[in-house]
Amino acid sequence: MLKSGEEHEEDLEKQRAAVVELRELEKSVEANPDDPFLRFNLAVCLWEKCECKEKAAEHLVVAVKLNPQNATAFKYLGHYYYEKEKARALKCYQRAVSLNPDDFQSGDALCDMLDQRLGYIHLHYNRCSEAVSTLQHAIRGFPTSPDLWEALGLAYQKLGMFTAATKSYGRAIELEDRRVFALIQSGNIFLTLGNFQKGVEQFQRALEISPQNVSANYGLASGLLAWSKECMNMGAFRWGASLLEDACTVTDKIAQLAGNFSSIWKMHGDIQLNYAKCFPWIEDDENVEFDVETFHASILTWKQTCYLAATSAKKSYQRALHLAPWQANLYIDIGIASDLISSMNENYGQDQHPWQLSEKMVLGALLLEGDNYEFWVALGCLSGYNALRQHALIRGLQLDVSLAVAWAYLGKLYREEGEKSLARLAFDCSRSIDPSLSLPWAGMSADSQIRDMTPEEAFESCSRAAQILPVAEFQVGLAKLALISGSLMSSQVFGAIRQAVQKAPHYPETHNLHGLVCEARSEYQAAITSFRLARCAIISSGDTSKSCLQDIAVNLARSLSKAGYAADAVQECESLRKEGMLDSEGLQIYAFCLWQLGENDHALSVVRNLASSVSAMERAFAAASVSFICRMLYYISGLDLAVSSILKMPKEFLQSTKVWIVASAIHALDHSNRLALAVSSSQYSLLSHDEIIEKHYLTALANLVKHGSDYCLGFQSGISHVKNALHSYPNSNLLRNLLGHLLLSCEEWKETHVASRCCITEAPNCASKQGLKSGCEILGAGAVACYAIGNVDPKFSYPACGYQCLNGPGAVQELQKYMHQEPWNHRAQYLLILNLLQKAREERFPSNICVILERLILVALSNEFYSRESMSYQYQKFQLLLCASEISLQGGNIAGCIKHAKNASSLLIPNNYLFFGHLLLCRAYAAVDDYTNLQQQYIRCLELETDYHIGWVCLKIIESLRSTFQLKNPLRKLVHWPVLRAAFFLCHGVACVKLARQFCSSDYLSLAVNSLTSAHANSVIPLPIVSLLLAQAEGSLGLKQNWEKNLRLEWYSWPPEMRPAELFFQMHLLSIQSESGFKNSIQGGILSKLT
Amino acid sequence: MKLAGLKSVENAHDESVWAATWIPATETRPALLMTGALDETVKLWKSDELTLERTNTGHCLGVVSVAAHPSGAIAASASLDSFVRVFDVDSNASIATLEAPPSEVWQMQFDPKGTTLAVAGGGSASVQLWDTGKWKLIATLSIPRPEGPKPSDKNSSKKFVLSVAWSPDGKRVACGSMDGTISVFDVARAKFLHHLEGHFMPVRSLVYSPANPRMLFSASDDAHVHMYDAEGKTMVAALSGHASWVLSVDASPDGAAIATGSSDKTVRLWDLSMRAAVQTVSNHADQVWGVTFRPPGGPGPRAGRLASVSDDKSISLYDYS
Repeated sequence: MLKSGEEHEEDLEKQRAAVVELRELEKSVEANPDDPFLRFNLAVCLWEKCECKEKAAEHLVVAVKLNPQNATAFKYLGHYYYEKEKARALKCYQRAVSLNPDDFQSGDALCDMLDQRLGYIHLHYNRCSEAVSTLQHAIRGFPTSPDLWEALGLAYQKLGMFTAATKSYGRAIELEDRRVFALIQSGNIFLTLGNFQKGVEQFQRALEISPQNVSANYGLASGLLAWSKECMNMGAFRWGASLLEDACTVTDKIAQLAGNFSSIWKMHGDIQLNYAKCFPWIEDDENVEFDVETFHASILTWKQTCYLAATSAKKSYQRALHLAPWQANLYIDIGIASDLISSMNENYGQDQHPWQLSEKMVLGALLLEGDNYEFWVALGCLSGYNALRQHALIRGLQLDVSLAVAWAYLGKLYREEGEKSLARLAFDCSRSIDPSLSLPWAGMSADSQIRDMTPEEAFESCSRAAQILPVAEFQVGLAKLALISGSLMSSQVFGAIRQAVQKAPHYPETHNLHGLVCEARSEYQAAITSFRLARCAIISSGDTSKSCLQDIAVNLARSLSKAGYAADAVQECESLRKEGMLDSEGLQIYAFCLWQLGENDHALSVVRNLASSVSAMERAFAAASVSFICRMLYYISGLDLAVSSILKMPKEFLQSTKVWIVASAIHALDHSNRLALAVSSSQYSLLSHDEIIEKHYLTALANLVKHGSDYCLGFQSGISHVKNALHSYPNSNLLRNLLGHLLLSCEEWKETHVASRCCITEAPNCASKQGLKSGCEILGAGAVACYAIGNVDPKFSYPACGYQCLNGPGAVQELQKYMHQEPWNHRAQYLLILNLLQKAREERFPSNICVILERLILVALSNEFYSRESMSYQYQKFQLLLCASEISLQGGNIAGCIKHAKNASSLLIPNNYLFFGHLLLCRAYAAVDDYTNLQQQYIRCLELETDYHIGWVCLKIIESLRSTFQLKNPLRKLVHWPVLRAAFFLCHGVACVKLARQFCSSDYLSLAVNSLTSAHANSVIPLPIVSLLLAQAEGSLGLKQNWEKNLRLEWYSWPPEMRPAELFFQMHLLSIQSESGFKNSIQGGILSKLT
Repeated sequence: MKLAGLKSVENAHDESVWAATWIPATETRPALLMTGALDETVKLWKSDELTLERTNTGHCLGVVSVAAHPSGAIAASASLDSFVRVFDVDSNASIATLEAPPSEVWQMQFDPKGTTLAVAGGGSASVQLWDTGKWKLIATLSIPRPEGPKPSDKNSSKKFVLSVAWSPDGKRVACGSMDGTISVFDVARAKFLHHLEGHFMPVRSLVYSPANPRMLFSASDDAHVHMYDAEGKTMVAALSGHASWVLSVDASPDGAAIATGSSDKTVRLWDLSMRAAVQTVSNHADQVWGVTFRPPGGPGPRAGRLASVSDDKSISLYDYS
């Protein structure tokens, strides 16, 4: 905005006046340099009018020197210094106020400054709560002063209000991001609160600003140390070790900066000590072949690293002690470090030198601070004399009776001494005081026998101990208990033993247990590696006790055989045998692997060896051996020898479930029933529910085998046995699924609709794959087999099957659920595709389902399973290709259809199925009127032949449609399948009608009448078209009465909204013929249809 | 009055060198420099080339203090675990092993006649006197507790005795404590005489002037060196100049100068007549734990020698003139 001319003029006028005034004043000051009044006036003029504060201040200083009573001059000076030197400003304001108490400007400024200052003073004298209120007051006056916020933060921190403190510090940092003090203090608070990561970040920020700051470096190192301890307690040793490495570089840097701070050396010692405890042994690349030397070397390097760290810790503690010998805890630290070092030496615990160094150092600490109970506990741990240890721990408890650690160590001590009941008391005490202490839990699990604990309970408490503190000893113990209580599979044990391998790689036990855990989890490759490592560890430790080596060798051989390395396993067993240490378990593995390798004679001799030692074994193991022997005999020498050896063996072995099951399985395969007496006499020894169900399962299978012919299993007797068994055990999934499976497999296909009803689709996560097929598979297969998928809407099709398949519509959903649960299961995918195809077929191939199907089939066919040679996979592939072909045919993509069908027909499967591939080709060629190819395929079909009636029916339809081929009549003899009978008769009838029309022959007509009548009689519900055709045929034969009757039947066999125009026309003809009242109703119907 | 560097041995020990003293010359050999270090060894060095004469091992922890008998025949070394090993200098045969409770052996010094070994008793707040003939404890000079008869653990750690010095006439023993006080004892009566005050941080090193038996120099963590009239209970002067803790002090044999070593990594030479530092040597890379003047006598060069040892594992030898 422009100023008006007048205003502008005025401004200029003022400026001019000011300059004139200034000149005059300057002149007069020059003339009278000692006149304070003139100088003051000049200064005010400079200050107010020329904004020249520097110059004004100079004059003011002179003025107040000449006249120290000028309050206003002091006020101006106060303003001047306010921004620059607070202390001077304060003095000026004070002077101004004392000279002129009414000067409110100076007074205000003074108050503000004093508030601020008072806050600092309070803080300095540790009067924190006063400081907080004063500082808050001051902050109202100076809300953007980072100093005030920082001071407030400090006051809060001293009061222990950490959250408020961090907020205040945060504000200070926000206002000025180079606030090192605020950053460091908030870092310290985060460390106190246990938020190490955030604390470390704060220190790092502080160090970016001031890299030489000792307290920031110290904070960073202690943050990293605390963080790494947290990692160690979680068991993340590698992470912890890397944090400690970082921390170590930081402390090295501080030691350079301030080498005479004992706390820094103590920190360095702590870091190194933790590093020595935490540094994990890292397994070499698992693929690399290792031998004893490389293993030994890697263990040595690991030990060396730990040892070096421990010695370095000891040295750092010594430095700290040298700098501050009056600090008692440093003696303890040296004691702990030297104890760790001596425990790393090979001959630890062998020479009980009087006055061990560690013990003596702890005594040094106690001399300085005898009332520190932690020092007493340390003495109790580090001393070599049990009496002294007990004394020290009890002394610690006298000082603080609720010292859980002391109780725990006391318990450990008593346990070592064999005072089990005292140990138990001490552990219980400790646990009740502090349940988050790991040692009492471990002690509890170790004392499981005295405490009457089950192995499961012992395992639980040990797992708690290992969870609280991931120490290798606890973890190894946990794995052992898991072995006893049978929970080797649990991932808790797996994690624990993995950590134990990192921390105690020199114990063969660790590797052995690791191997066992891996084996239990079916990771045989890893198990083999671990067992080999265990052997290396034994050899490199120099302790070559035979029994351990033997156990490990047996474990290794077992894992090798499980992983499929039979030859290696045999080698292991042979070397064991040379040593003479092949026990019965080893013999079993040996025999099994020999058999796998095909060395049957050798295997048999080993089995004989085993058999000779059975009588000396304990019961449970003998049973396992016997059942193994029976199985081997069956596999190697065949049924007869197995049967005779079972007959020969003592009867009490059959009391064992394992042996009984093997025996009855062999019995099932034996047609001459030689074992009947033996098996049935001891079947009453089976007690548990599961065992009895198992028995029924076996018997049912036995019935299948025994009552079947050479080509066909005896399904009926099997089914009836399972049905009977189900009466007693209605909720056994195993039996239900077996029944479903048998019903489906049954050749007659009468009861497929029952199959899906009798099985239970398992609850999700039901991992145990018992039996032959899962419930879902049976459901899916049943739905495919039972043609009616349960379409309730007759708009699409007419159910050909009289049985109502109850869960039919749910099958597709059920299979989708199945596939969602197990997306890797190709079987689920396959069944879903088949079910969807049926659905699509029923609904006349709607495009949406076709698209889904195309994609599903594409995905399914890409599965590698289908490239396998196995018959069942090839069959499935064939089916999938047919589906794809069918979809292409229905979608009008004849080329695709032919391609898929040709692919399908090129597969190596029985002719019985291959027929359908060529049938589809026939249909495809028929659709494009390619008669030469059609004929070829037709002949190929006739060559291949099939047992499936529907195939012939379809072939006949094609034949009749084209009518280029000679009509043969091989069909009649095939028609004995009730479900299809109606359809067949219908087809035959249609064909005959067509032929009759072509050749004008009444013979065909009467044939057609016969067929159609049969179709009508055989259909469950009135089939459409049948009656219409029948009416036509009979009408052509001149039987007008029948024509009329059949037309009427036809009328009612259609749903009202679907009646075809043809029918209306026929009915119209009928109504013209007949004069009954029926006519009107028909006309009404026609009218409504026309409109 | 100046120091001139003669020889420096880098990595003389594997770890920080913490203690040094000269073993006086005997008729058969010149004076030797004895150093003790964190690497648990004691080493003997021949002047002026600083060739390693011998390495003594056997301590379990770092060597904090070494002392030489005035005769030059025997010497003692003490480590952090409070074992004092007394050995024959020439043969390295152990003469005695004195054991004290941990934390109760710190600095040591033989009396000028060589009959007694005084040991600064650390946490026991006392000075132990050992007979050098039978190696028996003959007296314990305890600092009286100011708080009355009730002993409190906290107090004893305040009076933690770090340093000890014999007066040249052998009548007095002075000891320096962690709280900065210096206590003076009458040896003959085994009696505490008085405190010398002025320091407020640990006194790590004490030495009497060889020229003036009343004059005591003290080095403290408060970065000052004090001169006391030990009999008259008065502080004569305070010498300031070090930037950090003064760890060690020694008086020159002529009594005209003192040398100090400090955490600020320097060695300073102080002219007592000017009461000021005349020279600052900063060839060490880490804090200087010990400075020691070679005592006069014996064959070989007569010139003054000063040795200093440091955390940087090195030993330096200077010509003092």
